Amino acid sequence: MTQFIYGLLLYIFLMLPPVADLVESIMITHMHMQMPLLVISGMLMGGILKSRFPRFFEKWNSNGIPGITLFMIIVIYWTIPRTMDEALTLQSVEIWKFISLPFLAGIPLRDSWKKLSEAGKNIIIIIFTIKYFGMGALYIWTPDQLCNNYLLIDQLTLGWGFVTTAICLVIYLVYTYTVDPSEYE
Amino acid sequence: MAIPYNRKTSAINEKTNKVLGVNLDDARISKSYLSVAFIALLLGGLLGLLQGLNRAGVLELPVWLNYYQVLTAHGLLLVVVMSAFLTIGYFYAGLSHTLGGLLPKVRKIAWTGFWMKIFGFVLVVIPILMNEASVMYTFYPPMAAHPLFYFGLVFIVLGVWALSIGAFINVAHWRKNHKGQHLPILAFFATGVFVLLVGATAFVAVEVLFMIIPWTLGWVDTINVMVARTLFWAFGHTAVNIWYLTAVSAWYVIIPKVIGGFRWNDYLTRVVVIALVIMNITGGFHHQIIDPGISLPIKFMHVFMSLAIGFPSLMTAYAMFRVFERTGRRKGGKGALGWFKKLPWGDVRFLAPFIAMAAFIPAGAGGIVQSTNQLDQVVHNTMWVVGHFHLTLGMTVVMTFFGISYWLVPHLSQRVLTPAMNKLGVVQTVIWTIGMIIMSFSMHTAGLFGSPRRTSFTTYGDFSATLGWDPYMAAVGIGATLLLIAVILQVYAVFNMMFFAPKGETEFPIAEVEPGETPTPYMTERWGVWVVVMLVVIAMAYVLPLTDMIVNAPPGSPPFKTW
Ligand code: HEM
Ligand SMILES: [Cu+2]
Repeated sequence: MTQFIYGLLLYIFLMLPPVADLVESIMITHMHMQMPLLVISGMLMGGILKSRFPRFFEKWNSNGIPGITLFMIIVIYWTIPRTMDEALTLQSVEIWKFISLPFLAGIPLRDSWKKLSEAGKNIIIIIFTIKYFGMGALYIWTPDQLCNNYLLIDQLTLGWGFVTTAICLVIYLVYTYTVDPSEYE
Repeated sequence: MAIPYNRKTSAINEKTNKVLGVNLDDARISKSYLSVAFIALLLGGLLGLLQGLNRAGVLELPVWLNYYQVLTAHGLLLVVVMSAFLTIGYFYAGLSHTLGGLLPKVRKIAWTGFWMKIFGFVLVVIPILMNEASVMYTFYPPMAAHPLFYFGLVFIVLGVWALSIGAFINVAHWRKNHKGQHLPILAFFATGVFVLLVGATAFVAVEVLFMIIPWTLGWVDTINVMVARTLFWAFGHTAVNIWYLTAVSAWYVIIPKVIGGFRWNDYLTRVVVIALVIMNITGGFHHQIIDPGISLPIKFMHVFMSLAIGFPSLMTAYAMFRVFERTGRRKGGKGALGWFKKLPWGDVRFLAPFIAMAAFIPAGAGGIVQSTNQLDQVVHNTMWVVGHFHLTLGMTVVMTFFGISYWLVPHLSQRVLTPAMNKLGVVQTVIWTIGMIIMSFSMHTAGLFGSPRRTSFTTYGDFSATLGWDPYMAAVGIGATLLLIAVILQVYAVFNMMFFAPKGETEFPIAEVEPGETPTPYMTERWGVWVVVMLVVIAMAYVLPLTDMIVNAPPGSPPFKTW
């Protein structure tokens, strides 16, 4: 219950117009701060749903794969430049963002992550690593402005944000690959 | 997954350490670090007195040792040398004690690191003495010192890395032999501190190696000043927070034992450490609130990050008073405040760190003032700031270290703290407290009136508005004099306890958790994950401003010798 309240507070905080305006005014904070925080708010709120409707999650997401697929679709959708642009221009898309990220990405992520095998988790992380390097390259090297609402420098910054995040993911993968937890735990 | 608590292991460790006593090879390492630290305190304190007397207007410094040489050395000696050597000496003693001795390989690494740091420091000192490096401890470009100065810094950083690697090796070795157990709490703090040390010094290494050295050697013509400052503060901010975290470790782990109580909840203690490690480095931006070239939204978000670090500090304050209250009540303290009287006020091992904690109340409040853009406009680069960090470092951190020295030095030297030495310690604590209160109060006040920091004595042509600062600056001189007396007492105490005090056993006080506490989840031990989270936070915080500073950079600056 406390988790749910924290999640809800975070969700409401992110919805406050000054907060939303501030983070959406900068491309990288829009994508790498607001969106992940929305997912996290959904994860925090999701616990209560899981305990209320265990049957539903058991039935539709018994091995975690449907949930994680939904999560991936939603998240990848929101890394497309066009979708970010639309969220700024169309109110309905903005609302869609605030619904899809917590409820269609956050909640399934929470329900699925623990159900995945170690290999499954690592595959997801590898997919994200590759994708982040790719997006980074795209944003760093395209000479054109990809969004109507953001300048080239915003784009470049976001590109480096993707690359540095991808590097962190690589470090994590190297860590899980080289350090065998059974030696310590 | 929860593992039945580690009381058993600490009991075993305690037993082995009781039988074997302190490991003499390990003790020699820690004693060397502590000796260097207290010599640095003596020298730094002496220079501090010179500065204080100069600013009070009673001492004119000779041309061969001018104010800015002294100030550069004072800053480096105290904030880089003394603090780092104390932290390392203390945590290596802690690792040796709680992990059942250092590995021979780690001992070698520790000595290598020691000599690298000393060598680096010698390289740094030479140009300072020659007045070729009066750039203050922040060495902001475009002020450029003699290249030797920067090479020295590189060796100091390499030394820090050696010691961190040594600590990690020892911790990993212990964990392999104690599968599924939680790292003993002091070693846990040490791990966090060494992780942060590596993270912090990485930034300054990039600044020095890839920006400043090529520039002072003339390989490149100009330097990007904003980037250099940003990299510096990622280091500088984190460094002082590391010294603070070291002090905090003693509050959580040592003080409860000294007063005969239990320590605070193990799980939450570890969470505080992890939170401080993850969120720390990005706080560096609060030193750049007045810097141009960082956009307002970014500054705003970084204020948020800085204040977030305040949260674990508030948890610490709560934790400490809870431990004190419980212990005082257990000893029969009655009523709302009766427990307060039951605390061992006459014991310097408690008194000094207690005053250190109390000093953090005004110090933390001042820190919040400085994090607030509008208020910082008033106090930035004034004596206020100097007053602030003499509270945080000069009281909170250093007095905790002083308190530690009264059991750690005898423990390492197989001697005892005599009642007479304890009394000397109490006197020392009182003098230091009075001196620091006088000095920092007057520094804060003079700063509010506008007196700039890092400025040798001047009356500004007897300009009336600035003459009003003089009484406060005179008080700085008085405080400085008292402080030097306290420094001499403290250094005397340390070397007396190291070489002359009566022989005997002194315990390494480590408190136990309260009986019946719920076990700590194993999650806290996954340092690999915490490090990755820390890196992600750093990436998020730095990518934006750095890209902006690099892409929209001005032409850059050639080196200047402004003195
Ligand atoms: C004997 C005790 C001490 C005295 C009398 C003293 C006095 C002073 C004075 C007068 C200044 C110069 C202010 C200015 O012109 O801007 C100063 C600067 C400074 N002090 Fe101390 N101090 C003492 C102890 C310490 C300790 C224990 C620390 C840290 C652990 C410390 C760290 C610093 C730093 C970092 C500076 C700033 C240097 C700079 O601006 O580059 N001091 N101190
Ligand atoms: Cu700071």
